[in-house]
Amino acid sequence: MIFTELRFVALFLGCWLSFYYVPRRYRALVLTFWGAAFYLLYTGQFFFVVVGLTIAAFFSGRRIVAWAAGLVTVGVLAYCKASLLVPLGFSYLAFELLHVVMERRRGRIGALSFGELLAFVFFAPARIAGPIKRYPDFVAAVRDAEPSSAAVYAGLLRILLGLAKKFFLADLLALTVAESLYVSSFVHAWIIVVAFSLQVWLDFSAYTDIAIGLGLTLGIALPENFRAPYLAKNIRDFWDRWHITLSHWVRDYVFTPLGRTMFKTRLRRTPAVIAVISYLATFTVVGAWHGLTPAFLLWGVYHGALLSLYHVIRLKTPAWIADRPWYGSPLARAAGTAFTFLCVTVGWVPFMLPLPKAQKMLALMFGVAR
Amino acid sequence: MVLWLIVFDQFVPRILEVLERRHYEGTKVFRFENSDLFALGPLVEYLREHPRHERRRVVFFGNSMIYGYFVRPEEAIPAQYQRLQPNTRVYNAGINGQEIGTGYLVGKDILDSVDVLYIQAVRGRTNEMLPSLIPVDDADLLRFNLARPDPVESRLRSALGRVWKLYRYNYRLQAALFGTSTRVFIYKHKRDLARMFRLPLLQPASFAPIHGQVSLRAPRRPGPVVPGIKADLAELARARGKRVVFIEFEFRDPVPDDGIATFNAAYAPFAETVIVHVPPEVTIDGMHATPAAAAQIAEVLIQHELVTPSSRRLDGRRPGALGRRDAAAPAGADAGVTTEAER
Repeated sequence: MIFTELRFVALFLGCWLSFYYVPRRYRALVLTFWGAAFYLLYTGQFFFVVVGLTIAAFFSGRRIVAWAAGLVTVGVLAYCKASLLVPLGFSYLAFELLHVVMERRRGRIGALSFGELLAFVFFAPARIAGPIKRYPDFVAAVRDAEPSSAAVYAGLLRILLGLAKKFFLADLLALTVAESLYVSSFVHAWIIVVAFSLQVWLDFSAYTDIAIGLGLTLGIALPENFRAPYLAKNIRDFWDRWHITLSHWVRDYVFTPLGRTMFKTRLRRTPAVIAVISYLATFTVVGAWHGLTPAFLLWGVYHGALLSLYHVIRLKTPAWIADRPWYGSPLARAAGTAFTFLCVTVGWVPFMLPLPKAQKMLALMFGVAR
Repeated sequence: MVLWLIVFDQFVPRILEVLERRHYEGTKVFRFENSDLFALGPLVEYLREHPRHERRRVVFFGNSMIYGYFVRPEEAIPAQYQRLQPNTRVYNAGINGQEIGTGYLVGKDILDSVDVLYIQAVRGRTNEMLPSLIPVDDADLLRFNLARPDPVESRLRSALGRVWKLYRYNYRLQAALFGTSTRVFIYKHKRDLARMFRLPLLQPASFAPIHGQVSLRAPRRPGPVVPGIKADLAELARARGKRVVFIEFEFRDPVPDDGIATFNAAYAPFAETVIVHVPPEVTIDGMHATPAAAAQIAEVLIQHELVTPSSRRLDGRRPGALGRRDAAAPAGADAGVTTEAER
């Protein structure tokens, strides 16, 4: 874990001290300096690629540059994903850059300062495993940052929470997950998959907790990424609670534009079809973002299909069912939560194992193993 | 809280000493819990820091065959060896999936602190994580194509370790206390709890009685020696007056004697390769020994130590060398051990 490497700790301490002591107007510069040092240390030459992409994003006020910057960023990301060697945090970084490019085209980022853009791109705490920041919010947070003792205390608590989640819970569950090597029974298969379900959440949200905690010590609020995702009432609710910054990113930059474009075609007479296509396309992107492998794509399409199904069922639920008193009862909601957890958990199988093994695991889980 | 940490830190080295003495010099069967790499670093560090020892020290290194996959710690080959040789302290350093490249680097580090080192000879790969676990010199990093641990990180760690003992000895304390990481320890005990409610997947008692016979041969014939890591470790053993025994397990496919015979002729008594024939009838799945087979293997290894003329010649040079009186009677007296080196 990079957060616990002494190199990272030393860099962050240097960053915190200089952030605290320099005048407010130099703070973006301080974040850029330490962030760049961090990224250079951990990714080597790739650092310069990122600087190039950032410069392109900076000049993306012009239409042609915006297109070029966007395409090159996507191209570099796709190249990294295809070669299965993604430099540290570049998946997150690329999406942040694309966000800047697209928001500029939409005219929602007025004056863009290069110093602040660099601080945004290289902000070390969020550079490891997200969250995916938004430029306007981040810049405002840096300008108003107040690294008070209360902020440091809150930040340290959040970091401790993250470390505990990672080292006491997620890593312990990982040992149960490793039993998948010799899984051979129905019950064992379900234990392992549920353990993975919890592990992947605890692990990822632990990274987010630490990133947010580090941000807090500087007085910078980062966006939340998880809100008790396994308590979601349905699959749509789940994606409003799981990896929130990613799902909001794809909502804003894939789902909505795609839907809007399709509404201009003949498809507008069948909005359900538009929704289904949009969901499937959006979640294929989400799958590809995790990795350009059949397994991740399958996982993405699975979630796209679940969301589509949910959308259609909601649309087609007859009034006489929705009007029943039990429809919104606590029991029905609990059942919804349990069913959502079940669907998500089954979805983790290709995420956890290479495809042939995933197939075997699913066969065991559903009692069709030969 | 900080004050408490500072005070506690003063006692850390002493606590570590007590715990390690109990863990490494005790009589409890030694094996890496859950076949976890975690405790390898602490074991190597301990052995290097404590080269002198009262009892004869034997270390076994290898993969799941040495570790004893499917069987309880006390049923694995090293533990059976210790049972037959009560005055010996045997360390089972077997870890699932480890190959001879890892064995070579571990062996090089601890050779000075052991009497006999058994290394299972399987292929030649080296675990990529090794440089972060045990000392590996620059030449070996290059030779095995291993990544050097980050120098800045290492320097920061040793600097912090100098002022903060709990940080410095954190892994060793866990290993001495639990035999593994705290995490694996909790996990193992969770398994014990689970066992109270349901039966384990494989019960050692359920293994079919064995009909086959384990045998050992250590051919010798003068001839050219193939250079490589085995020869290098053999040279080192000769220079230090130590003994390294490479074990080749012969399962279904016969192991050719040629290279092994010339190797043995060149390096015995300091280094030797023994071929242990393990017929499929005495294995669980064709590649892992049943408890009874493990006992037979331990027995043939001990028998070989006794009858190797060289081993007597080394006696004077090795503290606590294997003596005849020490060799307990074979558990199964009918075990037809054939030791070809004797012929």
